[in-house]
Amino acid sequence: MTFVYRLLVLVILALVIRCMFRERDFWKQATAALVVVPLVLRLLMIK
Amino acid sequence: MMRQPAASWKTAILLLLLSLFVAFVAARDFRVMNAPDVFAPAEGFARKMLSEYFPPLKGTTADTPVFIREGKEPGGTVLILGGTHPVESAGILAATLFLENASVPRGRLIVIPNANAMALTHNSPQEGHPQQIHFALKDGSTRVFRYGSRATNFTDEWPFPEIYVHPASGQKLSGKERSNLNRCYPGVPDGSMTERLAFAIVELIRKEKVDLAFDLHEASPEYPVVNAIVAHERSMELAAIVTMELEGLGIPIRLEPSPKNLRGLSHREWGDSTDVLPILMETGNPSQGRLRGRTDERLVLTGEDKAYVKAAALGRLFIPYEGNQLIAYRVARHVTAIRVFVENLEMVRPGKGVTLEGIPQYEEILKQGVEAFLKPVPKKREV
Repeated sequence: MTFVYRLLVLVILALVIRCMFRERDFWKQATAALVVVPLVLRLLMIK
Repeated sequence: MMRQPAASWKTAILLLLLSLFVAFVAARDFRVMNAPDVFAPAEGFARKMLSEYFPPLKGTTADTPVFIREGKEPGGTVLILGGTHPVESAGILAATLFLENASVPRGRLIVIPNANAMALTHNSPQEGHPQQIHFALKDGSTRVFRYGSRATNFTDEWPFPEIYVHPASGQKLSGKERSNLNRCYPGVPDGSMTERLAFAIVELIRKEKVDLAFDLHEASPEYPVVNAIVAHERSMELAAIVTMELEGLGIPIRLEPSPKNLRGLSHREWGDSTDVLPILMETGNPSQGRLRGRTDERLVLTGEDKAYVKAAALGRLFIPYEGNQLIAYRVARHVTAIRVFVENLEMVRPGKGVTLEGIPQYEEILKQGVEAFLKPVPKKREV
C-alpha cells in the first residue's frame, strides 16, 4: 500500500514540475514551487 | 496577434532548487522526531522489545522498548504504559519516573514508556504543538522528551478508511480512529500497524500474566473524564479503595466505570481479553484543550492559560483550575495513584502483591519538580 502511495505522490510531483517548466507566468511557477515542497517530503516519507 | 512569452526554464530551475532547499531544511526539522527518547533505567531493569511478544512487529516502526524489573520475592506483575497518546506528556513522564527510580523487592514491574512509538515520530504543527519538551537537571544536563501526536504517523497508517469498523465488535468510528492505539484493542495480528501494536500489547499482558495494568493519559480540562480513574468492572473494587485513599491524601479523583459498549479502549478490552485488572487514568492538561490560547512548550509544562482562568470562572471546567496545571502536579497525581493501587493490590489478589520502593512521594514531586527525579542520560541520542 505504501508503494501505491509513493507512486501517486511521484506522479503528482512529476506533473507539478512539468507544469512549472511549461508555465510562462512567474507567480504560477512560484505557486508550483510551493506545492513541490510537501510532495518531496511525502515522497521521502518524512512527516 | 500578440506573441506569448516563452516559458522561463531558468526561473523554473531556480525555483525547483529553492523548493528542494526548503524541503531539505524542513526534513531536517521533521527528522528530529525520529530520534528515540533515551531513558536511564534504575538498576535491575532488563530491556526487551515488544516484538519478543509478537515477532511480526520486529523491524517495524511499531516495535518499542519494554523494561522489566524482577523482584527477589515472588508476587504479582504490574504494567505501566505511558505514551499511548504521546501528546499526553504526564503519562510518559510518570512511567519514566517509575523506570528510573523504582526498586522492586517483591513481584515484577514492567514499564513501556513509549507505547505508540509510531505516534512519537510526528507532531501537530498546525496545533502549535512543540516538537519536544525539556527538563534542566541539577548536573547541568538537559532531558529531552518528544511531544508527539495522538495518532500514529500517517506514513505508517495510510490510507485511513472513511469509517473505522472495530474488528472485535463492529463498532463504527471515524476513520482516523484506526490510528488511535486506544481504539484498536484487543488488536488484530494481521491488521493495520496500530491494530498489530494493540495486539502485541495484549499478548504481553497475557504472556507475562500481568495482574494490574495502567494506561496513563491526559485530557483537556473541559472534558468530563479528567482527573479520573476509568476502571473495568473487575478493577472496580480496587479502584474504589484507591479513590478513597487518594481523597484522604488530598488528591480528589473521579471514578468512572468502563462503559461496556464503548469498545477498543484499554480499560475495556484488556479486561475482556485477559485476566488483568485494567486501569486508565487521566490528568487535566490545558495544552490539549480547545479553549487554549498560545500553544508552546511553556503551556505544556505549566498549563498557564488566561482562557482557562475565564472558563473556570464560568464553571465550564471539570477540574479545579487556579491559573495553572503544572507538569509536576499532573505527574505527581499519576505516580501517587499508581503507588496507592500497587500498595492495595494484595487485598484483591492475595499472593500477588507487588512492593515498589524508591518512588518519589506526591509532595516531593510538587516541591522539587519532575526534573529532580529524572536521571542524566548520554548527550548523544540514538537514531
